[in-house]
Amino acid sequence: MKDITFTLKLLKLSIRALLSNPFRTVLTMLGIIIGSLTIIIVVGLGEGAKRDIEQQYSSMSVTTILVNAPSTVEGARSKLNYDDVEELQKIDSLKTVIPQLSGKVQMQAEGKSSNLSVLGTTTAVQKLASLKLISGKFWDDEVDNRSKVAVIGAVVAEELFGSRTADVVGKTIMVGKKEFEIIGLLEYKGGTVGPTTIDDSIFTPYDTAYRYILGVNGRFNINAEAKNVEQIGDAVDQISQTLRRTHNLKVGMNDDFRVRDMGTTVSSAVNSSRTMGILLASVGVIVLIVGGIGIMNIMYVTVTERTKEIGIRKAIGAKESYILLQFIFEAFLMSLIGFFIGTILSFIAFYLLKQFQISAILVWWSYLLSFFVTVGIGLFFGYYPAKKASALNPIDALRYE
Amino acid sequence: MKKDYERLLSLKNIRREYVLAGTTYSILQGIDLEINKGEFISLMGPSGSGKSTLLNIIGCLDTPSSGQYILEGKDVSKMSVSSLAEVRNRHIGFIFQNFNLIPSISVIENVLLPAFYLGDEDRKKAEELLVMVGLKDRINYRPNDLSGGQKQRVAIARALINNPDLLLADEPTGALDSKTGHEIMELILALNRDQKKTILMVTHDLNIAKLSHKIIELSDGKIIK
Repeated sequence: MKDITFTLKLLKLSIRALLSNPFRTVLTMLGIIIGSLTIIIVVGLGEGAKRDIEQQYSSMSVTTILVNAPSTVEGARSKLNYDDVEELQKIDSLKTVIPQLSGKVQMQAEGKSSNLSVLGTTTAVQKLASLKLISGKFWDDEVDNRSKVAVIGAVVAEELFGSRTADVVGKTIMVGKKEFEIIGLLEYKGGTVGPTTIDDSIFTPYDTAYRYILGVNGRFNINAEAKNVEQIGDAVDQISQTLRRTHNLKVGMNDDFRVRDMGTTVSSAVNSSRTMGILLASVGVIVLIVGGIGIMNIMYVTVTERTKEIGIRKAIGAKESYILLQFIFEAFLMSLIGFFIGTILSFIAFYLLKQFQISAILVWWSYLLSFFVTVGIGLFFGYYPAKKASALNPIDALRYE
Repeated sequence: MKKDYERLLSLKNIRREYVLAGTTYSILQGIDLEINKGEFISLMGPSGSGKSTLLNIIGCLDTPSSGQYILEGKDVSKMSVSSLAEVRNRHIGFIFQNFNLIPSISVIENVLLPAFYLGDEDRKKAEELLVMVGLKDRINYRPNDLSGGQKQRVAIARALINNPDLLLADEPTGALDSKTGHEIMELILALNRDQKKTILMVTHDLNIAKLSHKIIELSDGKIIK
């Protein structure tokens, strides 16, 4: 008990020493503050990126293969068209092939209006993206290929009707200048199909989207699914060969389309986000080490400045361990307070990131990690100056001016 | 058997050598000294005669190269660094020429410092001591707001806080004008006379040395008188 009160008194001594020069203390802590903040934010950003990737690809299986043809000139027509879809449907290793014509259109219903996505496709999209209906049904590809009918996403229902209940089926919606009938409402899903987010899109037959809404301004992709994982490689090769043939590309000419399978895309996205995370985390650790060196530097200055005081304390009976503890406490307090300030700043940082719509998730263990790294570095770099102080010879220290 | 005196400390054949750049310097060359409780002894001698080294060894700030030092019946010459710190804290009070107060803390906190390391801070006692040395109304001042004489009074109060047996004074009036010096000497003499404190004082001033019971003269690391 006596030891505890004595230790607390030493702690008080250290606090007074830090407060006696507050400006220097804050400057010394700056590196620690930034370092601990960096670690917390880096982990948050990493988790945010991971969530984004998971969400983006959640509705796609690894057997999904995307074909697109990014136009080299703004406004130029895509090199892909519906004929390519029909050619690809002949490939054995593919289970499903759907066209995707997409674009943003102003939509209106019951007085509300919003800029939302249109996706012109075939009903096979339902199976390919595992879409579930709350009510209604998809159109019939044979019968309705030019009907103005739409299956709408959950967010569309919310934005235009204020709710996502079954009664929106049967109502009408203005898509651009055309009136469409809602024939189905999708469950909330999250994620995308090809380049289009599911929940804020309306789905219409391909011909309808082309003829009445998007025309040549729509973005055209082909979304295919391999029969199984083993056949992905073959499928990708066959798609390339087929498209080179239908596009009349000669040997030596570059592809005018791009084929990506989701397995590779997802794993490279995950990899690059992980690499980024490690990179940023090492920046955080480096900042902390530099901060730690800052603490060590100032502690050495402090010990030199207070050589005489240390000599007095030792002469009148302070043991080496008391001096050691007093100075280690100073380093410890600086890193601890630095960590707390970093924590407070991290809340502000997360708020700002949210304002700029950068996804970052606050994770509790990032604070734990930041705490241990910060305090560990403070103690590590504080130890040597403290050891130097405690080992001073009292006779020499008293003589020091 | 009745003893008319009680032994406080004894030094037997104390030697202290320093090795500097390969050369050995012999600072103390076999010191024998006995001090009884209640004595007031002055230590004189020219610069380099070994006065400070001897005072440091008696004050447990330094350890002898050889020889035996018994303080209060305990062999101090064989103690660890940590035990020596404890001996300094409990048994010895230091009064330095340049006061050696810590400027960043108040007068009373300076007085309480040895008690802080003993783990027994008695604020009332510190106040009483400050009253005794005549600094009743300076308790919460900073050392730098005090005159030299007042600083030395604080240092004396600090030396007394743990009620030590031995007071070591290293030129206590050396940094003071003669009038203030005499006032400080009055105080030190009173400690010996009224509180029976044992005092060992290093001084250059023969007039001040004459105020003590006994003068020891040191030359070239030996006691010559």
